Amino acid sequence: MKPSRPATRSALGRVTANALVSSAFLRLDLELDQPFTFLPGQFVMVNEPGPRSWTFSRPFSILAGAGTSLSLLYRVVGRGTAAMASLPRGAAMQVLGPLGEPFPAPVEGSTAVLLGGGVGLPPVFAWRERWGGPRDRAFFGARDGGEVPWEMLGNSWGISVDRAEGVPPGRGAFTGVVTALAAAEAGLAPGDNGVVYACGPAPLLKAAARLARAQGWRCWVSLEEHMGCGYGVCKGCVVPVREGNGIRNATCCFEGPVFDAANLPDLGDPSVLPGTAGGAA
Amino acid sequence: MNLPSWWQLEVTAPFKLGPRELPGRIWTASGCFAYGLHAHDFRAADGTSPYLGVGAVVTKTVTPLPRTGNAMPRLVETACGALNSIGLENVGFEDFLANVLPELEARGVPTVVSLAATTPEDFGPLVRRLHEHASGFAHWHGVELNLSCPNVAEGGHDFGSAPATVARCVAAARAWLPDRALLAKITPNVADIAQLALAARDAGADAVSAINTVVGLDVDLRTGQPYLPRRFGGYSGQAILPIALAKVDQIVRGVGVPVVGVGGIAEPEDALKFFALGAVAVQVGTAQMRDPFAAARIARDLARR
Repeated sequence: MKPSRPATRSALGRVTANALVSSAFLRLDLELDQPFTFLPGQFVMVNEPGPRSWTFSRPFSILAGAGTSLSLLYRVVGRGTAAMASLPRGAAMQVLGPLGEPFPAPVEGSTAVLLGGGVGLPPVFAWRERWGGPRDRAFFGARDGGEVPWEMLGNSWGISVDRAEGVPPGRGAFTGVVTALAAAEAGLAPGDNGVVYACGPAPLLKAAARLARAQGWRCWVSLEEHMGCGYGVCKGCVVPVREGNGIRNATCCFEGPVFDAANLPDLGDPSVLPGTAGGAA
Repeated sequence: MNLPSWWQLEVTAPFKLGPRELPGRIWTASGCFAYGLHAHDFRAADGTSPYLGVGAVVTKTVTPLPRTGNAMPRLVETACGALNSIGLENVGFEDFLANVLPELEARGVPTVVSLAATTPEDFGPLVRRLHEHASGFAHWHGVELNLSCPNVAEGGHDFGSAPATVARCVAAARAWLPDRALLAKITPNVADIAQLALAARDAGADAVSAINTVVGLDVDLRTGQPYLPRRFGGYSGQAILPIALAKVDQIVRGVGVPVVGVGGIAEPEDALKFFALGAVAVQVGTAQMRDPFAAARIARDLARR
């Protein structure tokens, strides 16, 4: 157990708001029955309360939280999130958290390059809210302008879109991948002590790791996996990580979801032979 | 909840199981709570721990050598339960003995060690080492032989589906386990589970744990292929409760060996049904993954006030 992590609580939450913040993403605000502290990059497992809820709770990175309030960002992808999207104000939700390994706090003299892709925004958003300084740079990528939660991001995030439609009048968005935007706009010289914090789909994470390697920067990524328990007991969400000269399985929920990109062979470090740690047994 | 009038057991009181007294009758099941070390700093809204009132934590199954487990994906949620194909990923017996079991002892976690091996004779040396190493441990209460994990095919058939194999495994372990409880966790994927229980009893088991998961499969319609790379998985959760109750009933009535009931328990009412059929204890599995406090909550709710 790492004492640096805030203690995990089992809490009952009540929905105070549950609405679209863009064409694709919903924000769920919960009022919990007890105070809740978390570190950026941590997540919660949520479920409908009671005996006949979903077999597995669903993991969501924490977008924001203070006191007894907790906010999550999600998109509808399956049964669980579809049920969540129809929760009215006042509905109850069971919450277990905070869980998982957080992003590291900023290092003295470093400049953060935050990269969020799609629904992978919350951990980097939370990092910026908690620790962001004037030199840090934040970038968000979405499929199109309609997906971007413009109001939530304000004016201080660089925005990239795959397709230019849906960008509101008066707002600018780079057309292309978010890592290309970051490479062009981060304003860091090679040798500047940049640290990348990234969360998003696999191609974004690979590109983030590549960008960091090219610049000689440290790169932390938050991975997404289907999870059974969320607290390390079921071994249902393992990812291959480097250890010494070999590769072993790490639980995404407990040892992660935040990992040093240099330890993830799947992110294409050329010094590592890609492969899966499973299968033989 | 309102407890029924026939209910007389005290689930958080010690009870005798073979040569050993165990602290309580509501346990966590193997494979659903790791080694029992992950949730120590968790707290419910009322400040209580997930271990409160839990009679035993049955560890994740430990094998002679470390195992990396199966390829991902390893889990599939279904409408009323889940399929798993974890593949017995574990740290291996020596690491468990050196690092995990002493930690459980130091934290005072009541522990039943789940063991698996590839041949019946392998169980003897494992249990012998355990007994030599941990004979002074106050919180190590017993061994559960995992004779039924459907995700690890040995020679193409489910290990432990033959009564003779069950008997050899139990006898090998019993020879080195004089003063701790010995349980055999048996598979429901056979024509007559009572025959397995009978073999376990006659070879010296103090109890059988019934049931392990039911073999199942689910298909991903996007690809037309099974979700799990190994096609089959172990089905658990709400849907298997009636199956588990039926198997437990067959064992209790047909064999007369103590039964620890497991399969689909998420609520106090579920546990009560096993006790009603004569189970001496129950284990909470899949529900414990969803809610680390599930077993503690059941123990609290079934305590006679």
